[in-house]
Amino acid sequence: MRAARTAYPLKWRIMDALEGVAAAIWPARFGRATPYLMLLPAVLLVGLLVLGLIQIADASLRTLDTTTFQFSDDYSIANFRRALTEPLFLVVAQRSLVAALIVTAVTLVFAFPYAYLMVRTRSPGLRKFLLIALFLPFFIGQVVRAYGWLIILGNQGMVNEALGLVGVAPMRLIYNYPAVLFGLVQYMLPFAVLMLAPALTAIPEELEAAAGSLGANWVRTFIHVVLPLARPGFIGAGVVVLTLSLTDFAVPAILGGGSQDFIANAIYDQFFRTSDQGLGAMLALMLVALGSILVGLVFALFGAGTLAMGRSRV
Amino acid sequence: MQEPFRAAASHVAEGDGEIAVTVRNVGMDFDGVQAVKNASFDLPKGRFLTILGPSGSGKTTLLRMIAGFQTPSSGEIFINGEAVSAVPPHKRSIGMVFQRLALFPHMTAAENVAFPLKMRRRDARTIPDRVERYLALVRLGGYGGRRIHELSGGQQQRVAIARALVFEPDLLLLDEPLAALDRKLREEMQLEFRRIQRELGVTTINVTHDQREALVVSDDIVVMDQGEIQQKARPIHTYRQPRNAFVANFIGVTNFIAGTVRDVSEAGDVSIVRGDLMLAGKVGDPVNPPAEGDKASGAIRAEQIRLAGDAAQLSTLDCVLTGTVTDTIFEGERMVYEVACAAIGDEVIRVFDHDPAAHTQFDIGQSVFLGWNARDMLVFR
Repeated sequence: MRAARTAYPLKWRIMDALEGVAAAIWPARFGRATPYLMLLPAVLLVGLLVLGLIQIADASLRTLDTTTFQFSDDYSIANFRRALTEPLFLVVAQRSLVAALIVTAVTLVFAFPYAYLMVRTRSPGLRKFLLIALFLPFFIGQVVRAYGWLIILGNQGMVNEALGLVGVAPMRLIYNYPAVLFGLVQYMLPFAVLMLAPALTAIPEELEAAAGSLGANWVRTFIHVVLPLARPGFIGAGVVVLTLSLTDFAVPAILGGGSQDFIANAIYDQFFRTSDQGLGAMLALMLVALGSILVGLVFALFGAGTLAMGRSRV
Repeated sequence: MQEPFRAAASHVAEGDGEIAVTVRNVGMDFDGVQAVKNASFDLPKGRFLTILGPSGSGKTTLLRMIAGFQTPSSGEIFINGEAVSAVPPHKRSIGMVFQRLALFPHMTAAENVAFPLKMRRRDARTIPDRVERYLALVRLGGYGGRRIHELSGGQQQRVAIARALVFEPDLLLLDEPLAALDRKLREEMQLEFRRIQRELGVTTINVTHDQREALVVSDDIVVMDQGEIQQKARPIHTYRQPRNAFVANFIGVTNFIAGTVRDVSEAGDVSIVRGDLMLAGKVGDPVNPPAEGDKASGAIRAEQIRLAGDAAQLSTLDCVLTGTVTDTIFEGERMVYEVACAAIGDEVIRVFDHDPAAHTQFDIGQSVFLGWNARDMLVFR
């Protein structure tokens, strides 16, 4: 028997040996537990996250005594009241929410033609180019990218210099709301395209040809065939862009120049500037709640989209 | 109560009817590869034409050009006398049933059928009635509310047909929609296509690689190979009078015996010589007949050959060879014998035997006689 074994290819014998070791450590009768074992790392990670969340919840209910810089021992909802009543936080929350909605809408509009062209083009060269152009920004971090926009859009930046050539006076293109929106859309576009592309790939090209032969021009084909069938992709992309925009920190911080803070920036200030961890924790919890409500609303209205995986709601 | 279907043109109308489709010297180049070469034919109104050919013969390309999904590199296509090369698909009056049906999965059967009516902005009040009528035509009355994935393969086929016909197009195109069905369902749907086409009288172009389908459903068959039209004829002529060796070989089971032409008569009689053997036959292509001394082959259908245990039984036949049975293949309704004939260098001749009254069978290794009539052998260059 041993002689016959050596006749097997080396790869087989290595695999046999590995299987032997595995069987010694984890006998086959434990087999039913294997899936749970594989789930363990994920459960541990999520568990830690939940522990952190509990701690944040605990902190959010303690108020800071500004004379002693000590946290109160008893719980109160003073932080909650402050978050809801202080105008600054309302302005920041509204600014973040409106920005998230605008950025989501604009990004989806821009991402669709990009994804469509990438999926449908017959030229492999063009597809490769579009893919590389899509992934390149991922290699440049968000902070570096935002800083790059400062250079390009700044008072002495390329854009203002080009405008100067045609006699337009330098304009303030950064440190304002549109600049933040612009930076966010630019940052979110690849995410949206990557979420949309699989949904578009799943639509057979023949369906579009069929719609054409049945009398639909491209606009009506898009409205009646492509859009409804791409819905799961739009929902997935929309949820990702919405939550990422709502919670973004770097783009409002850098392109807003401190004047366009989002919720995340306000939280940062509470934790690291005023050191009011209680209020910071409360704001963080409220951001989590806001994001969850928005995502829940999208799921309730439109279904879970591609994020639900598996059985799609056709 | 309901308006009648558009008056049916007689499906048996001969070639003198009004012309619905004209394909004139149409060619298609894909990066230097000629998918279709100089194709021309006329299709009279109300007729059912099948473009038959192996995969890669250019038949689907030709259909897609008629549908408007591709523009011919050369030549012109006319629909009802109008040149259509510059007309986009959605402005042509063409109903098409696609290879994979291309039903809209997010709509019900009725919504699928209503789609072309809505796109063509027909009076919304008449749509439900008309949709129900066409669902009834394809025997799906009452199934309108079903989702596409709730229907069987055959039912989906029927929805696709109803959707392609509901707006009363000038032309119906079928792009091998039956290819994916199992044999029994496919044969059922072939007859269904023929029934519906005759009922409505709609001019139809069907594309298939299935010779049986072409013979069963069509008024005319265009046989294509390597981008070229090989023959356009009625099914019975395509089968009985193939114009060249490709058509003879592609449709039916045909034996070819290669030889050299001995003499050709004005009447179309020809004989070919193979070693000591001389075989009499008919000229296959009268337009382009072989000349004496040409290499040629005689084509004889497997069902036109008779097998017998002794030569006396074949005394009425013009040509008799001896051979040895090398294989027997039982196909249910018939037995197929493969017989190696010494006179042609032990080449194998295939013979169908389906005489239900005869219970004799030949065994592998048995010596047999095989014979046929000279008029059944067509000689091609």
